[in-house]
Amino acid sequence: MSKKYSIDKIFKALADANRREIFHLLIVATSALSLTQITAEFDISRQGVTKHIKLMEDAGLIQTHNKGRERFCEVNPTPLNEIKDWLAVYDKFWDDKLKSLGDFLDKKA
Amino acid sequence: MNDKIVKEHQFAHPISKIWDAITLEAEISTWFIPADFKAEQGYNYTFKHEAEDQCTTINGEILKVNPTTELVYTWVVEGTDIITTVSWKLEANEGGTFLVLEHTGISNFPGESAVEMFNSFSGGWDNCISGLEKHLTAINV
Repeated sequence: MSKKYSIDKIFKALADANRREIFHLLIVATSALSLTQITAEFDISRQGVTKHIKLMEDAGLIQTHNKGRERFCEVNPTPLNEIKDWLAVYDKFWDDKLKSLGDFLDKKA
Repeated sequence: MNDKIVKEHQFAHPISKIWDAITLEAEISTWFIPADFKAEQGYNYTFKHEAEDQCTTINGEILKVNPTTELVYTWVVEGTDIITTVSWKLEANEGGTFLVLEHTGISNFPGESAVEMFNSFSGGWDNCISGLEKHLTAINV
């Protein structure tokens, strides 16, 4: 399974309620939001928001760019496909293995 | 959709035979993946899956052993720190044995899971994904 995104990082990025809300906010916004705009929506400090954004950026879920003195954040949902793929891979894996178990048991009879 | 994979299967074989197949190292190594395995609570097992040039090692700890009915172990693919859990439940019935296999993943994460995030979107995961796909298409235009 070669992957562009690290599933560990994606899971970690999404394992926090504030980060999920930031992510959701950016999805709903459908455009880039500045750090100031994001911070205004939350009860946490700008530093806190910055930390969360950094983790999500590492996971590939957010892209940031500077414009003037402001930092803008944009959402990138593509990494979520990794989670979908994870399920698909194991779904098939277990189907194959259970078939193999059935064959094994039949032969062992 | 959630992060849990559930497979149910009816086997026309007695429960003890299936129990052996999923707990004995020699048998696991035949039909499943070459294994270092002991069905003892606390045992750290290894599955070494070799296919073509790729070698995937799975490690885990045996969490629960109730002979012939229940076997539970953690499942960690080497090189990752995602702990998932595999559970085998067997039930003898008239036709043989009914198996319920569960593999749970994301929801093992402490605190609120990623899954809850998806479920919190209206319509859950499926809508979320299709919404994201639409969103992606829109971005790519």
